[in-house]
Amino acid sequence: MSEISAADFQPLTAGQETQVISRPSLSYWQDAWIRLKANRRALASLYIVIGLLAFTLLGPVLWPVDPARQDIDQISLPPGTDRNATIVAPYQPWFGDANLPGTGLRLAEPGTTQAVRLQWEVLPGANGHRVYRNLFPVGPEYAYGIPLAEILNNDTLYFEDRLDLQPGTYFYSVVALGPRGEITTEYESLEVDIQRVTTVAEAIERGLLEEGTNLQVGDQIELAWHPLGTDYLGRDMLARLMAGARVSLFIGIGAPLLFVLFGVTYGSVAGFVGGRVDQVMMRFADFVVALPFLLFMIVFKIAFGIGPGESGVFPMLVAMVVLLWPATARLVRGQILQIREQGYIDASRLLGAKTPYLVFRHMIPNTLGVVLVTLTFAIPSAIFTEAFLSFIGMGVAPPTPSWGSMSNEGIKTMLTTPHELIFPALFISLTVLAFNLLGDGLRDALDARMRNRE
Amino acid sequence: MSDTSSVVVDADEGFTRSAGKQLALYALYAIAAVAAVMFVLSLAAGGAGSSATGNAIDVENNSITIALREEPPQMDAARATDASSNVVLSHVMEGLISYDLDAQPIPGVAERWEIREDGATFWLRENALWSDGVPVTAHDFVFSWRRVLNPETASQYAFILYPIKNAEAINTGQLPVETLGVRAAGDRVLEVEFERPTPYFDKLVSYLTYFPTREDFFKSTNGRYGADADMMLYNGPYVLTEWVHGSTMRWEKNPLYWNKENKGFLDEIRTAYITQDINAKLNLFKDGQIVDTHLLSPMLPTAMEQRWQIDRSMDGSVFYLEFNHRDNRITRNWNFRRAMQLAQDSTELVYKVLKEPSYIPGTTLFPAWLNGVSESFQKEYPPVEHKMNVQKAREHLALAKQELGIDEFPPLMMLTGDTPISLLAAEYYQQLFRENLGLELRLDVQIFKQRLEKMRQGEFDIVLSGWGPDYNDVLTYGDLFSSWNLQNRGRYNSPEMDSWIRIAQSELEPKKRMDAFGEIQRLLYEDVVIIPMYERGISFVVDPRLKDFRRRSVGPEVDYNFAYIDTSGQ
Repeated sequence: MSEISAADFQPLTAGQETQVISRPSLSYWQDAWIRLKANRRALASLYIVIGLLAFTLLGPVLWPVDPARQDIDQISLPPGTDRNATIVAPYQPWFGDANLPGTGLRLAEPGTTQAVRLQWEVLPGANGHRVYRNLFPVGPEYAYGIPLAEILNNDTLYFEDRLDLQPGTYFYSVVALGPRGEITTEYESLEVDIQRVTTVAEAIERGLLEEGTNLQVGDQIELAWHPLGTDYLGRDMLARLMAGARVSLFIGIGAPLLFVLFGVTYGSVAGFVGGRVDQVMMRFADFVVALPFLLFMIVFKIAFGIGPGESGVFPMLVAMVVLLWPATARLVRGQILQIREQGYIDASRLLGAKTPYLVFRHMIPNTLGVVLVTLTFAIPSAIFTEAFLSFIGMGVAPPTPSWGSMSNEGIKTMLTTPHELIFPALFISLTVLAFNLLGDGLRDALDARMRNRE
Repeated sequence: MSDTSSVVVDADEGFTRSAGKQLALYALYAIAAVAAVMFVLSLAAGGAGSSATGNAIDVENNSITIALREEPPQMDAARATDASSNVVLSHVMEGLISYDLDAQPIPGVAERWEIREDGATFWLRENALWSDGVPVTAHDFVFSWRRVLNPETASQYAFILYPIKNAEAINTGQLPVETLGVRAAGDRVLEVEFERPTPYFDKLVSYLTYFPTREDFFKSTNGRYGADADMMLYNGPYVLTEWVHGSTMRWEKNPLYWNKENKGFLDEIRTAYITQDINAKLNLFKDGQIVDTHLLSPMLPTAMEQRWQIDRSMDGSVFYLEFNHRDNRITRNWNFRRAMQLAQDSTELVYKVLKEPSYIPGTTLFPAWLNGVSESFQKEYPPVEHKMNVQKAREHLALAKQELGIDEFPPLMMLTGDTPISLLAAEYYQQLFRENLGLELRLDVQIFKQRLEKMRQGEFDIVLSGWGPDYNDVLTYGDLFSSWNLQNRGRYNSPEMDSWIRIAQSELEPKKRMDAFGEIQRLLYEDVVIIPMYERGISFVVDPRLKDFRRRSVGPEVDYNFAYIDTSGQ
């Protein structure tokens, strides 16, 4: 036992700290931010969201390609297609060449993407010929491929194919027609390699060449670069995705912001005032919930005088704001009702706080967590709604793209050119997933009760 | 304090990491499961395809299964307008004159006929019977034609009977139906009087609006004629024996049909599917559930891979951009239209954008299959050669601006249907004219009926329009842009055009008549009444065991009248 001296019984001097806060105090938001940062999923989602915004806003500056421009020479090309082309002379109509050497089915000149010129002699017993093109050799089934033309006499023994020629190998066949124009098994076949070509005029028109550049026939040139490929009209997918993002994110972020703002105001008034006013206001909210969205979308479209061929994005925004606020309003009203009865509100009131102070200092900040979470979940659902409405043709007007309308176009050629569907669908999925995960993370970070539970 | 907080963070990180791992694992499982299911399904599908388990062709019962595009609204030939009704009616009914396998006219109910300048006479055969055994008589035609023209019937195709004397006046309610210039001279002679010389009347009477209807039976149905299988009488190679609305139809061989040796070889044709979905039809065909289907260009690689024998035919119709020539429309200005004409090239549209192998780039209103004096009309009267020239187009556009006294063209309304092909063409033109001429076109996408209604009202500047033939004569296209034709939706009005059309309608000397069509063709190009887009064709596949199946340019789009099952190949 140690000795007890008189000094131990001296009163402490004032000013000496009894408790020391060893770290700087954290505000609610700082704390939430720290815990959000610790959540990797949420953080990654946050970066994705920021990336998407940059893609939308900065993208068109870095990739200034007109999303409506049609590159007719490069239609429905997947990314990474070879772009080398040889310069050839401008197209001239061709009507066979009587002095062409050789016999049988043969080429008048090497096959190019501009034209394939075939010539042949009358097949035995033919009353006319049919020209076919195939991706495979004919084989024992007499599967000649795509019928390109039918010539019902033996005078015309040439054919010029200009239909959608792609670099690669085609098998051309000429089949003899019977007396009634029916297909026979008498045929000749020819394997043709197609070379990608372009003309000087086309290259200038597509902006690949300066006017007056001296290029000779036979020179090599690179066609326009499309990093994500092109769509069914040869439009650049990357430029269209950026332009589409503008519409999708405008609706996706604009509409939820507006209707959540309205919902918060409406709900807090109802909750705070309470009583009869609350009853009336909430019954009105119930009424709005029951209104069918699609019908109102159409009604607004007509009411705003949006004619055919004009964008339906504005009525879509209005319809969303007018019809989707009740969910937020209900949530906020519930929160306010709860908070109103809390002890600290009574204490504050006893200390003389006025109503605006109570609302802005105590009530709304305490509902903000809920509101933010609602907002982040409303964004993906709004993006989905936009995509859906554009998918069914209620949204943007061509040629303006949106991710939804791009998916709609892409699905038609899903089996042959999947990239036209995959890219917009990927962007929709990614955006929706990112906002959902971010919302999840925010909910965890902002919920004060979860603070010590991990 | 500091220790615990770091522990919390660690725990949190660990939690996320393990959760992430779990998530990745789940995703892997899901992908593996989907892949497995797809593999199994593709195996199953492959098996079905190769063993041809389908019942598209039932050799034992001599029957086939087909798909219809849509259900016929009703089967009353007087009121039928759609393609599906045409298909069914062309198999269960027969007119005065019919077609053979090669689309050449052959005797139908009439065994012979005579066409004069002022009228025609048809001698009906004795053995043409209704499906209840009663002979088809001239009275049945008189009754049917009067009924078509009766304003109360409101037949949309009544105009096709207008060459008959007083027909138009009756249809517009100015004369009673009894004044129609058609008369039964006994049971088996039908006398027709013309309003004006109609040398192509023999081609008209095979059209379904000219089919007969028997008066006593019609009255016994109490206005439900054609609404059900038993609410009709048949005189064609097949009879409709079952019609389950919204689902299936069954046509059976008509035992009383007079020409059994040449038509109607199958015992039964089932229309088990009613679908417009071309992908669904392709899958049905792949699985051997239907005997034929048509193909769009994205399906062609699949068809080649399956090693099918792909066939083609022209469907007869021609598609074009039609201008609105009404007053106060910018498109009324010739320089403006000329600019648009010069700024486009239909070969680029067809070869590069639409990519349909059976389409022919449009050069004129008159399709390649039409006959002139002795051979194809296009060969005898070649269309004006068109060359795209953007430079010249811009000059014309500047002139148009001057003439109209405007600095900037307002956005123009481009009306289009909602089919994939017309949407594609419309979007292509929208950008083409924007790039080449700086014009803004707004697309007005409408369903078929609504598009026709808007065309009728004149609510468009430019419309993507088309015209299918009603009968096998150049005139089915030739009179389209006469000032009096109600189908002239752009209200093009030119005295010169009208005078050529009058000659084409009534001239009896073939050469002079075709010359008139040649002039019409020239005028259509020079005055830029329309800009031809393409002649529509169809790529299709048929089960190789079914022979003599035809797709037609005129009449029914699919024709099984001559089809038979050939098992010799197996």
